[in-house]
Amino acid sequence: MDISLLSRATLAGAALLVAAMPASAEPGRLLASQCAQCHGTNGAGPGFEEIAGKDLFNDLIEMKYRPIEGIMDRQARGYTDEQLRLIADYLSTLPGNGGD
Amino acid sequence: MKNTLNRRQFLKLASAMSALAVTPRAIGQTTTAPRVVVVGGGFGGATLAKYVRMWGGNVQVTLVDANPNHVSCILSNLVVTGGLSMSRITLGFDSLKANHGVTVMQGRALAIDAPGNRLTVKTATGNQVLPYDHLVLSPGIDFVPAAGNWDPKLTPHAWQAGPQTTLLKNQLAAMSSYDTFVMTVPKAPYRCPPGPYERACVVADYLKRKGRTGAKVVVLDANAGITAEPEAFGHAFNVTHAGVIEYVPNATVLSVDSSTRSIVTSAKTVNQAKVLNYIPNQRAGAITKYLPLNSTGFVPVDPLTYGVASYPNIHVIGDSCAVPSSDNKPVPKSGHMANSEAKICADAIVRAFNGEAPDANIATSSACFSPITNRTSSWLSTNFIYGDIFDANGIVKGKGMHRVDIGEAAASMVDGDSYQDMFTWADSIFSDSFI
Repeated sequence: MDISLLSRATLAGAALLVAAMPASAEPGRLLASQCAQCHGTNGAGPGFEEIAGKDLFNDLIEMKYRPIEGIMDRQARGYTDEQLRLIADYLSTLPGNGGD
Repeated sequence: MKNTLNRRQFLKLASAMSALAVTPRAIGQTTTAPRVVVVGGGFGGATLAKYVRMWGGNVQVTLVDANPNHVSCILSNLVVTGGLSMSRITLGFDSLKANHGVTVMQGRALAIDAPGNRLTVKTATGNQVLPYDHLVLSPGIDFVPAAGNWDPKLTPHAWQAGPQTTLLKNQLAAMSSYDTFVMTVPKAPYRCPPGPYERACVVADYLKRKGRTGAKVVVLDANAGITAEPEAFGHAFNVTHAGVIEYVPNATVLSVDSSTRSIVTSAKTVNQAKVLNYIPNQRAGAITKYLPLNSTGFVPVDPLTYGVASYPNIHVIGDSCAVPSSDNKPVPKSGHMANSEAKICADAIVRAFNGEAPDANIATSSACFSPITNRTSSWLSTNFIYGDIFDANGIVKGKGMHRVDIGEAAASMVDGDSYQDMFTWADSIFSDSFI
């Protein structure tokens, strides 16, 4: 089999595909999706406090560095400060349902 | 059967094809929408299907599951004690179809044709062959029973929720005073590290509440000690349920006799228990037999894509996969972690279709709540970030998921608020995975 021909065909196919695909993921989307198990898909519930449409960076930093009061203080320790910034920025752009 | 390979043939063909597999997309099918096939509709597979559809534009997703719906292991111990109904933990696939355009096929995945990028599925109307560009396996666990004549219809595991849950519930309800409930904790790694200890607690609590005087719960643990939440469960065993729970560590199961509900372990033998809840050791789900397994029977994966070595377009997520980690403790096998891994895998697949490299700025987590009584719950939380992982001497041994935090509820946090939080968490993860 002609591998180079096969590769060219494959690449041509891949190029066709790109047009049909969405733009690249926004920064923070994948990291923020890890909040959804407890706060709902796209941070809009059902779950604990709604986190969509709010800038939660300062809250997350406070939870990360204060003594453990509850499970969210542990979860906040699971990300770098830069990752928390990406998460907070992304969540702030989401519409949510206007809940608490 | 056509399209079925034994493992050696499969590996040989896959190896021959790997040089050609510059991209996983099948030749001659480039004008159709990209196709993802998912095996297993639990928390991992359902989340994968939903998020590929949410993030992947025109990607076609087919979810294959042997059952018409998924019965959640999360909260299932409260069905065993009669606190919740089966309907409360039964999660359908209709929302994945209606809200996200996932195609659902009821059937059992039989064989993977890796070079041909096809999966054979046995359905009620015969075998179906599903072509794919990416195949994601989320088949949960299989059991590795000890010697003897274990029959789960007589001595249930109830470690895959459904009819087994109902069977154990009925056996528990039939217990009288001075009867003994015997259960095992599998050798790690196994599904849901805190789950067996949680079960011991809620069964003990049930027996006390129902006035079963002198009834006992014997916990035969194959591990050297409590593997998850040692503080919370240690307190529960020694204080909250003292006198009811007998905890026996280092109890390797040697044989099981379901007909007499008897079990022999390296630490203790029990004959003719009233209930024998034997939860065997575990390995990756059956469909992974085509793939390379590690020494504990799970599939090593790349934590950036959940791809399997040598098979760039086959991914394994959830309980069946083994992720390299820094402290030699397995990444926990839980519904929450399966959901977490599914999102990373979904993102990597969508990026692959776009010709992009996987995102390396990733984190995974698991969190859960475990009832201790019918009013109180503990919780557990653990988090991982991708990066260097270390050996016991602190030397970098490669890349993987580095555990950055782990912790459990302090004794003062095992309370009614946590019990209510358990339902908030469960409803949220049910929704994020299935709605």
